[in-house]
Amino acid sequence: MLGELSQPIARRLLALVPVLFGISLLVFVLNAVALGDPARAMLGQRGDPEVIAQIRQEYALDRPLWSQYVTWMGRILRGNLGRSYHQQRPVGEVIAERFPATLRLAVAATLLAVAFGLAMGIAAALTPGSALDHLLMGAAVAGISTPVFWLGLMLSLFFAVWLGWLPVSGYGDGAMANLVLPALTLGALHTGTIARMTRSSLLEVIRQDYVQAARAKGLSEVAVVGKHALKNALIPVVTVIGIGLADLLVGAPLTETVFAWPGLGRMLVAAVGQRDLPVVMGAVLVFAVIYVLGSLLVDLAYLVIDPRVRRE
Amino acid sequence: MSTRCGLLLLAVALVLTGPPPAGGQKQGGTLRAAFSSDPPTLDPAQATDTTSSAVIRQIFDTLVELDETLKPVPALAERWSASKDQRVYTFVLRPGVRFHHGRELRAGDVKFSFERAARGKRPWVFEKIAGTREFLRGQASEIRGIRLVDDLSVEVTLERPFAPFLSLMAYDAASIVPREEASRLGVEFASHPVGTGAFRFVRWRRDDQVVLEKFNGHFRGAPSLDRVVFRIIPAEITRFNEYKTGHLDYTDIPTGHCRAVQRDPALKQEVAIWPILGTQAVRFNVERPPFNDRRIRQAVGHAIEPRAIVAGLLEGCVVAGKGILPPAMPGFNPGVSGPAFDRERARRLLAEAGFPAGKGLGPFTFHYNTGDLNQRIAELLQAQLKEVGIVLELRRLDWAAHIKLVDEGGAGFFRQGWIADYPDPENFLTVLFHSRNAGAAGNTSRYRNPSLDRLLDEADGMAPGSARFKRYQEAEQIVLDDGVWISLYHYTSRALIKPYVKGLERSPLSSAPEFLAPLRKVSLDR
Repeated sequence: MLGELSQPIARRLLALVPVLFGISLLVFVLNAVALGDPARAMLGQRGDPEVIAQIRQEYALDRPLWSQYVTWMGRILRGNLGRSYHQQRPVGEVIAERFPATLRLAVAATLLAVAFGLAMGIAAALTPGSALDHLLMGAAVAGISTPVFWLGLMLSLFFAVWLGWLPVSGYGDGAMANLVLPALTLGALHTGTIARMTRSSLLEVIRQDYVQAARAKGLSEVAVVGKHALKNALIPVVTVIGIGLADLLVGAPLTETVFAWPGLGRMLVAAVGQRDLPVVMGAVLVFAVIYVLGSLLVDLAYLVIDPRVRRE
Repeated sequence: MSTRCGLLLLAVALVLTGPPPAGGQKQGGTLRAAFSSDPPTLDPAQATDTTSSAVIRQIFDTLVELDETLKPVPALAERWSASKDQRVYTFVLRPGVRFHHGRELRAGDVKFSFERAARGKRPWVFEKIAGTREFLRGQASEIRGIRLVDDLSVEVTLERPFAPFLSLMAYDAASIVPREEASRLGVEFASHPVGTGAFRFVRWRRDDQVVLEKFNGHFRGAPSLDRVVFRIIPAEITRFNEYKTGHLDYTDIPTGHCRAVQRDPALKQEVAIWPILGTQAVRFNVERPPFNDRRIRQAVGHAIEPRAIVAGLLEGCVVAGKGILPPAMPGFNPGVSGPAFDRERARRLLAEAGFPAGKGLGPFTFHYNTGDLNQRIAELLQAQLKEVGIVLELRRLDWAAHIKLVDEGGAGFFRQGWIADYPDPENFLTVLFHSRNAGAAGNTSRYRNPSLDRLLDEADGMAPGSARFKRYQEAEQIVLDDGVWISLYHYTSRALIKPYVKGLERSPLSSAPEFLAPLRKVSLDR
């Protein structure tokens, strides 16, 4: 099967090149037209004009924009993301040290979302129109529409401040207890999406003839749904899960802010505020790669799950 | 083991561990504090923000420091003397002071540190020293005003007398770093700082926490605390919750909670509010019409009611503004006369300027940087000015964009407060209104008044004392009468401090949540 997959993988990876080039150009131009000077932003409330000029020279900010972009691109092609203006450290290092926290949170939130979302979706699909169905879908819509910031604060207030069961915030040297509330908060949106998608997809599948035939054979409902219906119903759900995971892997600034989680989202927001262009450009490139690889993995999962796609 | 050998070991142990800690304080424990953002650097030469400074002040020492009353007291320099003309200062270092890596401090470290920091982000701290500008422009290989007298003495010569010079020497940019470590580590020094301070650097996990531990060899003796953990918690409500659940030993009071915590039976004993050296203000670019007309500026000043902002938006937890200098600043003039809230007078001034009831004036833009409080203040100003016929359009930008626009003169009417770097009126009035500082250097109003310049130059060079303060008070009144600056309120620091935290200074230079106070004085009496 790997041989069959190598061509589509290669095609996708090749397509990544113009995507990354386009994104880098777009971000660079947006930064250039945005007001604000990185050199001035570094100096707090009192900016010495000579120091501003010196910093602009040091970071080549006094050169024409096209020249700055060409220099940056040259470095990227040599595998160098540049140096943060603000932190005076390699951008690769700045991103890499925050990635483990983001990865942990994204994976935990996705696992929670998949577990709760699938369970809610299946339960609702098996009891369409019932009170349980309405209750579960109501909860799913609430998960999708509740602002993350508010939900995070409420969870924190209830479980950490009132009950004292979990820490209020922080990474806590990687302790599981610190992961629970941010993962629940971040997973709520995706739980709702997965639940709704699973319900509608499963409802569609269980009305099909082959499922009715399985029932007619006298198979138990668990076997009908678990073995026959769910496998086909999950194909669109996999897309939602894959894209959702990629979405979470680029950081979640609001959840990270509420729970003081040291992830990529906070880093990027701070870098934009500081006009730390190398960090912004580097992060956006890495995020783009994550997105493209995420959608590639979803396509590969299709190939594995559905033999028809492979044949096509 | 012979007695002589035992005494020798004891002597070595004493040298290595330093003098015993001050008596009476409970020893040990970890102090848990929080910042709202990650410090960009821990290198004194590169820092420009209070978060970085709060950590730097624990890891490094300066030649002198300011006590709670803002008076310079000995630190690394055990004494100093000034020449009669107040231009030459000789600092004598304490013998036996050690850096965290073990080497003894030498006068050469002072010269190295000052020259290194002068090339950093705050050269203005050293610009009063003779030869600094030539050094920075590459016209000299060293700052000629810094001379090593011997291994433990440094002579610093100023271009001209400057009364607050000792306050500059207490500023964290003037921290003393070890020459060989700073040179060896280069930019990495910002992440692996080595100083002589009461706490040594342990680890820094970005956006999460900075950990320091006590330095037993500190020249004042080991501090009481074993460790200090600064956590990075961006949301103020999260800091508040961490404090309430007992995971922080002090924090700031969240916006909008000032009265509530003072009424809360569980928290009211832990509330601390004290004035700091800052003023929130709105300013004009006096080069841009219509603000080049003094009457328009004065009309705006008379139409604004600072007390409504203080009572309505800040729950009375700050002090309404009148003058420019904050009440905690040495030289503060309680009799200063700011623009009184007087709508009739505002209307008269508008009419005199040719815009009766604001007709023909057209809407003008008020620029401010993002922030909930700034937004609410802008909306209140809009409502207040509408009462006299002035139509205000609001333009909000993030800090980087706002400061660039203001520096370059693109904003005519804008929010820009000021917090003093050191406790001297010069740091407000000369920096903000002297014509040589027009633009990014501080005078964003681009105000040029030769008689004010002369008055400020004279005051800056005078010996400390009331005559000098009198000059600044005159200067302050000139600026206010010209309607260049409108004070909204004077900042206070609002904090919650657990009752077992002893010795945490609340000086006007120390504000929550960063607390620039020396933590070596702090102990935990649980």
